[in-house]
Amino acid sequence: MSNRSPLLEIRGLSVSYEREGKNILALDDVNLSIDSNTVVAVVGESGCGKSTLALSIIGLLPIPPAKIHSGEIHYKSVDLLRVKERERRLFRGTEIAMIFQEPLTSLNPVYRVGDQVAEAISIRKLREKVGSLQLSADGPMQKVYNTKSRLSTSRFVFPFRSRYSGEIRREVVDMLRKVRIPDPEQIVNRYPFELSGGMRQRIMIAMALSQKPSLLIADEPTTALDVTTQAQVLKLMKELMDEARTSVLLITHDLGVASEVADRVIVMYAGDVIEDTDVYKLFKEPLHPYTKGLLSCIPSGPKDIRKITPIPGSIPDMRNPPPGCKFSSRCPYVMETCRTTKPPLIQVSENHKVACFLYPK
Amino acid sequence: MEQTRKLSTNENIIEVLNLKKYYRVRRSLNPLKKPFYVRAVDDVSFSIRAGRTTAIVGESGCGKTTLARCIALLTPPTAGKIIMEGEPVKMDGGSLKKFYRKVQMVFQDPDSSLDPRMRIKDIIAEPLLNLFPVANCDIPRAVTEALLSVGLPLEFANAYPSQLSGGQKQRVAIARAIVTKPKVVILDEPTSALDVSVQAQILNLLIDLQEKYNLTYLFITHNIAVAEYISDYIAVMYAGKIVEQGPTKSVMLNPKHPYTVTLLLSSPIADPLRRRILRAEIRGEVPSLIDPPKGCRFNPRCPYKQKICESEIPSLIELKQSHFVACFYSEKVSLTDSVRDNG
Repeated sequence: MSNRSPLLEIRGLSVSYEREGKNILALDDVNLSIDSNTVVAVVGESGCGKSTLALSIIGLLPIPPAKIHSGEIHYKSVDLLRVKERERRLFRGTEIAMIFQEPLTSLNPVYRVGDQVAEAISIRKLREKVGSLQLSADGPMQKVYNTKSRLSTSRFVFPFRSRYSGEIRREVVDMLRKVRIPDPEQIVNRYPFELSGGMRQRIMIAMALSQKPSLLIADEPTTALDVTTQAQVLKLMKELMDEARTSVLLITHDLGVASEVADRVIVMYAGDVIEDTDVYKLFKEPLHPYTKGLLSCIPSGPKDIRKITPIPGSIPDMRNPPPGCKFSSRCPYVMETCRTTKPPLIQVSENHKVACFLYPK
Repeated sequence: MEQTRKLSTNENIIEVLNLKKYYRVRRSLNPLKKPFYVRAVDDVSFSIRAGRTTAIVGESGCGKTTLARCIALLTPPTAGKIIMEGEPVKMDGGSLKKFYRKVQMVFQDPDSSLDPRMRIKDIIAEPLLNLFPVANCDIPRAVTEALLSVGLPLEFANAYPSQLSGGQKQRVAIARAIVTKPKVVILDEPTSALDVSVQAQILNLLIDLQEKYNLTYLFITHNIAVAEYISDYIAVMYAGKIVEQGPTKSVMLNPKHPYTVTLLLSSPIADPLRRRILRAEIRGEVPSLIDPPKGCRFNPRCPYKQKICESEIPSLIELKQSHFVACFYSEKVSLTDSVRDNG
């Protein structure tokens, strides 16, 4: 595992947003890597930078107000931050697919869902015609580009009548069946607003999956859904991604969701990765005081048996982050060095990294 | 009716009898076409015990918020009765004032329940001004006490809601609810918009306030773990009806309605050794309330379904001490079996 290069590797990524003349730090020197065929969950509370991380990887950060200060994002050994926007488009939505929290805003309201899935499928077909992507910065990229311009004209879809027929339509129906949409022949003709939240998210999964991506970024994919629907969608996602050997970067605020589906969990706090380990280790022996605090906040069982203990205080003001460890003001184990020096993310045991001075190398 | 009488004891502060709330919707402009009704709450009876927390859990659209709004008299029920301390409540001006001295409410989203143009102290004082004769109370003192009891510093009295964080705003909403010293507080998803660490603070605050002021809570939530944590009694709603209710421990450890089992199996647990949602077999979706399934409303999704479930509506039957279930085959339903079957 160690000598093979990971699917995605992020080194020293720092991102900030400019608001009202002030810089708000969103990601502060983030390092992480994702191997092939694994589900990695990024957990943290609102404002910890987990969505910024997702948007940086797929290249959808709004620049400005966002600004990438430093860092590298290596995907299959291409540095996504160094390639041109034209080249970046080859990865976005195809090699790296993304599902968002609210499927209604991700789907186009004036097109039938079948046409939207068909569009995704026809893009994949075009890519296949060109040949498999050689992901290096020279040569083959150019070849893809010339067809890319043709691709953009072929993407026009009539809103009133399904443009797709024959083979692609059959594939769309198959795809919908794969994401367990009942009666897919009828559903292809529906508009997004006619479907329930769970169904819409299944359509999104179908669109992402039809690209055969190597990495799927799912940003709070089930947060807008009810628990029984959430369970169905998570199960479906996990099964299909396993089958297609796609890695998943699951962004979630819900530690329960992370523990149910992830292989590895990355905990973020105020723009920092503070703990990075195997899912079993994280829940059995969390090391960072914030992770411990977060776990003791989750209700499980009645109050007279296991009383939850909130973390005192609140997250620091990111316009003006403290110089040392960002958790130091709330940490019960705070030491003098914590207030002045930022603890680096270090390996403390096999598969277990933590950013805290309590743990020596 | 017999069953509702059994429920009523003098320890119940509020009783709800055969409550129905139908919303009329027109799907067509044609005036000759019959209107449709959304049966948001359909014949619900239950009681709230004094000094305890009763939770109502269910997914969106199950009618739990409508039920809370009916009990808070924010919307008139289509049919049924609400009895407060032995007397049916009326919805005229004078009785409403009396009612709201005893019953207050906290809403899910503090951004929409706190007036952005009012200072915190005015927000908290408003119920006092509305419900009591001005001469009778020392408003600044009551506001100070309420602020302190929800753990907010006094400097916040002059702030506006926009200057506060989500958790702080929800504390203000709680302060406004307890400032009149009510007996009952209805909490509609009070922590759903909050992060888990803030949620923990608010839940523990609510528990402390309950002890301090001997409050009765009606706690509406979609999160079954939160309900299990905070409540003494629980009612599970599905498609406008209560399908199971009883003491929380009894319902959580030994659920007897297939929907309660489904809900428990699909709630994520923060312990990878007890993973269950990937193993659970969950079918179907929540039905439409305009045209709900005939018979038991859970029957299209139920693994225990028999013929009778499609034609007859099961009524709530007491299995053991105040644990009620609306299922014809409840003796077959078991949480541990469902896990084993799928594992």
